[in-house]
Amino acid sequence: MQLLRSYRLLVTWQALRKRNYLPLMMAVQTLFSLGIVLGYPLLFPTLDRTSIYLIATGAPAISMVSVGLVALPQTVGEQKTEGSLDYMRSLPVPRLSYLVADLTVWLAIVIPGVVLGVLVGAWRFGLDLQVSPLVVPAVLMVALTSTCVGYAIASLLPYMLTVIITQAIVVFVFMFSPLTFLPDKLPGWLEAIHRVLPVQAMGEVTRGTLAPNEFGLPLGAFLTLAVWCVLGFGVTYAAMSRRG
Amino acid sequence: MLLEIENLTKVYRTGTRANDGINLAIAEGEVFGLLGHNGAGKTTLVNQVVGLLRPTSGSIRIDGRDMVAAPGMARRLCSFQAQAQVPIDGLTPRQAIDLLGQLRGASSVDVHRRRERLVDALELGEWLDVDAARLSGGVKRLVAFAMAAVTPGRVVMLDEPTNDVDPVRRRLLWRQVRTLADHGAAVLLVTHNVIEAERSVDRLAILDEGRVIAEGTPAELKARVGAALRLELVLDPDAPDLPASPFGLSAVRVGNRLMVGVPIDAAGPAVGWAESLKLAGFVEEFTLGPATLEDVYVALVGDAETRPAQVEEVFDATAA
Repeated sequence: MQLLRSYRLLVTWQALRKRNYLPLMMAVQTLFSLGIVLGYPLLFPTLDRTSIYLIATGAPAISMVSVGLVALPQTVGEQKTEGSLDYMRSLPVPRLSYLVADLTVWLAIVIPGVVLGVLVGAWRFGLDLQVSPLVVPAVLMVALTSTCVGYAIASLLPYMLTVIITQAIVVFVFMFSPLTFLPDKLPGWLEAIHRVLPVQAMGEVTRGTLAPNEFGLPLGAFLTLAVWCVLGFGVTYAAMSRRG
Repeated sequence: MLLEIENLTKVYRTGTRANDGINLAIAEGEVFGLLGHNGAGKTTLVNQVVGLLRPTSGSIRIDGRDMVAAPGMARRLCSFQAQAQVPIDGLTPRQAIDLLGQLRGASSVDVHRRRERLVDALELGEWLDVDAARLSGGVKRLVAFAMAAVTPGRVVMLDEPTNDVDPVRRRLLWRQVRTLADHGAAVLLVTHNVIEAERSVDRLAILDEGRVIAEGTPAELKARVGAALRLELVLDPDAPDLPASPFGLSAVRVGNRLMVGVPIDAAGPAVGWAESLKLAGFVEEFTLGPATLEDVYVALVGDAETRPAQVEEVFDATAA
């Protein structure tokens, strides 16, 4: 009961805190999706069918990763530096409530960009996506995993290091992660790394549920995400509960 | 005693000994001041009470219960105004105070009633529905206080509550601090504002380099300087060294201010002496007033701007 009550109050608090820049964040993140969907065809005027599907379904995955692994850790790192995270940690509420409430608000920021990105992608390329009902848990899983891992990065590292690492993540995700292309385009060693990291699994799960006829449903990727999600959440929860 | 801190030591991983064997006890209904310079260990102490830091050794008990072993309970029993600004940008004071009151377990009806009373008492009405992002630092501080006070814990810890607050509302705030204690809370007030503390606290401890170097009521501590009056001389920076004091009391120099302890029966000669110094061009101006807690504080730990090297005993206590 206390868990639910504090969760509800904390979601209100965190949503109100982000109220001023929530629309802007949503807009920027939606532009991420749109930029990819509308920009790639300018770079590559002739795209084959697979590439079109990869771009249309990769864009929402990139926007989820960009919020979870870049915007979130930078924001949480800032809160850590200015002392506001400690203030929230001093509240008489279970740490679990706080963490889940904050993740809820971050998920709410992510989802509109995903939906809009998919719709614009389908419209731009004239796709008839046979979306699987599993898309709902899949998108939630991808968003939750990226936010949990992002939270863990910010919890473990000093702020400056968080900023540097998240900037490196931007380059890594955009250029060297198989979200808008298939992993076999990568050199063998990078392909091997991506088999362990969560980003490739995020792409596979997103495109596998948005366009199951094109890509098939990758159950292994769900498993990889589940492991990273639990790991990210566990590390963050431990860091939140730790007394220095 | 409601809050009992025994032999509390906190050594950070960097090796800094922020708290060193601190013993404190605060009763219900008592406002207890914790004074000290920046870096004296005050915030480290409150962060341990509220469960954000784990003591290296020692114990913290509230109502006899071990708070080091139960940090979750510590957070429920203590309400806390942190030194940093509260993260409420985007919220209005009304929303922030109500949310915190309810998070501390009170019903929304009770919280609304108490919030209205606090907002009236602190004269915050005109900002009640303004986004906190647009509030001044002082008003935000008052809102943070109201958040800590709306559903108070049995222990209320206020870390520099008057920072940035205007003089008029400071008084209102101090009145509310007293009200909290009158309703049975043990209030731990962290401040470096000695003058305000003197008027507001029942007892206090002075913290220096992680240790309690003095503890007692303001009157008890003032008795330690051994003089009922304080002669403050503002020295002329171009004047040569001051001639010796005719009084057998110690004096402390901080920058160009010289504070001399004066016995009550020597008030007349002291003024005469100060006047002669002014005429001779040694001092620009002087004031004689009752000894304050600040005199004790400065005598014990020096002044933040000058410590530690520049605070000097200019007269020896035994000199004639």
